[in-house]
Amino acid sequence: MNLAQRSIRLCLYSTSAQVSRTKWDLMSAVCLERKPVLSGELNEIERKFSRMLADIELENSHKSDHEVRYETETLQAELLKSKSLDLDIEQTLQQTAQDFEDAAVDEYNKFVFESRITEADKANDLQNLERKLDRHLLLLVQQKQWDQKIWALPQGLQKDGETMLQTAERVLREKCGDDLTVQFYGNAPCGVYKYKYPKMFVSREEEGPVGAKVFFFKAQYIAGYVDHNKLKLQEFKWLGREELMSSLSQEYYRNISQFLIDEE
Amino acid sequence: MIGCLDVDVGFRCADRCLLFAEPLKKKKRIDPAILKQREERKKKRLEKQIRRLERNAKQLKPIDELEVPLELVDGKKERMREAAVITPAVEEERALLTKDWTRYKRKQHLKDMQMIDRLMFAQQKALDELRQESEELYQAAIQINPTLLPFTVRGPVKTPPIKGYDSPDGEYTDVSKKCVVNNHWTGVVNPCLQVYESNCTEEQNM
Repeated sequence: MNLAQRSIRLCLYSTSAQVSRTKWDLMSAVCLERKPVLSGELNEIERKFSRMLADIELENSHKSDHEVRYETETLQAELLKSKSLDLDIEQTLQQTAQDFEDAAVDEYNKFVFESRITEADKANDLQNLERKLDRHLLLLVQQKQWDQKIWALPQGLQKDGETMLQTAERVLREKCGDDLTVQFYGNAPCGVYKYKYPKMFVSREEEGPVGAKVFFFKAQYIAGYVDHNKLKLQEFKWLGREELMSSLSQEYYRNISQFLIDEE
Repeated sequence: MIGCLDVDVGFRCADRCLLFAEPLKKKKRIDPAILKQREERKKKRLEKQIRRLERNAKQLKPIDELEVPLELVDGKKERMREAAVITPAVEEERALLTKDWTRYKRKQHLKDMQMIDRLMFAQQKALDELRQESEELYQAAIQINPTLLPFTVRGPVKTPPIKGYDSPDGEYTDVSKKCVVNNHWTGVVNPCLQVYESNCTEEQNM
């Protein structure tokens, strides 16, 4: 008798098994992300293609007012030179198209754009949200589990009468303070992580939960800061995708990466 | 059986009622001259309305954006750019680049589809696990949240905003034309047909 048959038989014949089936703790966790603030750099082929489109656009276009003006002025200047006509004072006082262009270029060059690499990038400040502006950042908090501290998404047990989403909202408030404004993406969890408690911490009785199911809810960071006081001894950090692996356990990371949106 | 009987009785009653009714009234006679006059008046009224509509039909609000400015039409010749010389080599390069581009976009699209599959699978798995624990929580999880839409997000941008930057206002000139709705007879005919006064006043703050 193979395994499938046995399991079917078990389902068919065991009415009592349903009642005393394994019990799981239900937990909600918040997958809070800061979305990219800056657009990414174009890669090789994108740059080439956009340059080609710009070329074709220019070839098919007509001349602008500025170009027409520029051409007539150069023509006039040539005429003036060749025939050495008397200079019209009114015309010389006018700003020529070339002058205008120079002034515009000058103004553009003087303008200082904010750098895409911020102070937080240079200091590698993991708690600062202004790091890696063109990437996703994910909030991790340090939590005590059994006898050790681990990094994980903020999570907590579900209370009676709460839906899972309400649990997630409460957990985030409890862990990170009220200052954080976020937008949850919906009532449904986006992923689950199931794990069994280690044997030495589980009560010997049959009734107790054997493990926990953590349901993840995605949320987008809108504004505010994580409250330092609220966290007490706990720590937090905002991590990019490529930094997650080193902070999380392999099993946990595998589960999380199932529902994270890829970056280029 | 009972149904048939009832219907039968009903018919008989109706017959009797008809027979007992008083004789029909004689139709009132109207002078044909008056009738003709009435008809004429109706016709006149309609004609007047049609005339008014025709007069006003030409006065719809003008949409300037749909018309090419005259100075562009006139100066089309001098605005023509001398045709760029595209060598066969450049042409070839462009064709190859376009092919490369389509391949690149296709790969990107496939990757996206795979990612969406993965996300949906993860969500379905989570919902299944939740259902095993509690039907109630599952039902709460699959409800649609109508308050989520519309959802607006801004960004991403090319460079981060400069902190404390006071953007110059620039010079503001309102060149929008103001049209006055002339609806002294709206409600008479077609209320959808709003007629504007033909001489739109162009106001410009100089």
